[in-house]
Amino acid sequence: MPMSRHIPEADLALFITGDAGMWRYVRINLHVAGCEACRARIEAYRMSRQRLKQAAAEMPEGADWDRLAAEMTANIRVGLAAGECVAPRRGKLDLGWRGSASGWKSAGWRASGWKTAGWKNIAAWSAIAAGVAAVLSAAWVLNLPSSDGDTLAHAMHSLFQGGAQGHASPPRSISNSEDRGAVVEASADGVKLRKNGIAVSTPQAASRPVVPMVITVSAPGSASTRYVDDDTGQIIVSSVYVP
Amino acid sequence: MFPSAKLGVLSIVAACLASAQTLHTNIDLPKDKDAPITVVHYDDGDSKATPRGGAYLVDFHPNLTLRNSGSKRIRSVTLLVQDQETKASISVPSLDVAPGDTFPLRINQTLFGNPSVDVQLDGVLFEDLSFYGPDTLHLQYNMTVWELEARQDRKFYKSLLEVSGGQALRNAMIDSMARQADVAQPNVRMARGRATTAEAGQDMQFAFLRLPDSPVELTGGRAKIFANEADGPSFAVHNVSKRPVRHLEIGWILKDQAGREFLAASLPADLNLPPGQSGQVTEDASLRFQGQGVIQSMKGFISSAEFADGSYWIPSRKQLEDPELRAVVAPSPEEQRLSSIYKKKGLDALIEELKKF
Repeated sequence: MPMSRHIPEADLALFITGDAGMWRYVRINLHVAGCEACRARIEAYRMSRQRLKQAAAEMPEGADWDRLAAEMTANIRVGLAAGECVAPRRGKLDLGWRGSASGWKSAGWRASGWKTAGWKNIAAWSAIAAGVAAVLSAAWVLNLPSSDGDTLAHAMHSLFQGGAQGHASPPRSISNSEDRGAVVEASADGVKLRKNGIAVSTPQAASRPVVPMVITVSAPGSASTRYVDDDTGQIIVSSVYVP
Repeated sequence: MFPSAKLGVLSIVAACLASAQTLHTNIDLPKDKDAPITVVHYDDGDSKATPRGGAYLVDFHPNLTLRNSGSKRIRSVTLLVQDQETKASISVPSLDVAPGDTFPLRINQTLFGNPSVDVQLDGVLFEDLSFYGPDTLHLQYNMTVWELEARQDRKFYKSLLEVSGGQALRNAMIDSMARQADVAQPNVRMARGRATTAEAGQDMQFAFLRLPDSPVELTGGRAKIFANEADGPSFAVHNVSKRPVRHLEIGWILKDQAGREFLAASLPADLNLPPGQSGQVTEDASLRFQGQGVIQSMKGFISSAEFADGSYWIPSRKQLEDPELRAVVAPSPEEQRLSSIYKKKGLDALIEELKKF
């Protein structure tokens, strides 16, 4: 790798995480030995990664990741829906950041048409949004359960391989069940219904139940938790259904 | 211009915050004079709807008290709880509510959709096994099986107490709790529909657990296996009884690579199976292990059946003592309830409870 060509971002990311592969790892190492700029970038990446890990470790114990994932999914959808609403009016939108240090001049719609400043503003805001999205995505991925990681890997695989090429079948471990809409998941921790990235859990028994709860799955499309209600002593069978 | 725009934005924010706190609940229980259940009290409790993007996350924890306004003792109740996106149900088996008595019903459900939740009565099972309600969830069968299991279990424990005394009952409860702790819980993901992949799976045959007096026998069964996923199970069944069978449930046991077995799912099937005849039960569903591992083997067994005359067959307690079943089939809801009474209140309270029936 000539010194004049710096390490591509993708290779750099793989190098930092130890996923670059042996040959690429050697090449990057050789390049970095003589390239101050790339060394600095690697160091910066390492520090960012460290900070991200620390931030993830500082997240509150017992955080409901499924709920947070559902929240993110919902927000992404809203963003997409908003994008759809905005798209036809693209030429009419002025974000109103007029380059003034005093802040927003206006947050409303304007019929003034495109201006050069408007393009610059949009570019700046897009860059900020992309940065925030990247940080959030990284934090989210670091905390993904392995099953969801599989799904994400499947999606990325499909994205890069192209669904219409025919030769790229999904890895078998990803399975087809994710491709068929809603699924119910059952484990010793309880029952979840997943639909379009949203997870809804049946209630859990008390953290230290009098007797263990029982988890059941019914093939027509439901899963249940059965537990003793601490207050009433009643047996409660709580079920969720695949729509 | 600027102050008015600011005012507008503030108004929108205020409206959003106000809507975040509004949860609309529709308790749609029968109101006719023959309805066996009436609402005595309802409040939303600490239920809340929180905006999540374009939808709402609804934590639904209302306080609900119902009255048995019919003339028969109630054994089981099921409520359907749903919003636009999510359908859930709450069933309470092992009840014993006399006519005129009230009882609490705890709903503790998370929904995701809009902040408008409908609660409807789906079914009530009475002491004489008669049923009231639309049964849109097809739970009448399960509610009846729970009640029959409860009767069988109470009879067993009462007999044990009479014949062998309190210490034997205590030992049986300790044994039950140990079993509940040991039963392997499913760890699966289930989807409806068949696999659409072009990749070829392999057919795997089911092994069968035969229960001696089961009215139906499994004579064949297989599913398509893709590593850790089993797809589209189908069974050949044969009615060995002298009565037509109209419904049955098959227990589906999976064994993973580590040799761990668990009851992965049940397959209910409506059918019309005359005595001596055979039929086929298929299900468009797939089960996948969560995490890594491949399916090593599968077993099936008939877990219950309903005859055309409305009577039921359930396995006896002795049959459920079979080591293979004991390891995967959890105790009945009633056994769960009785063991919790023993654990919380002791042997005397358990004996008092058994005397009520």
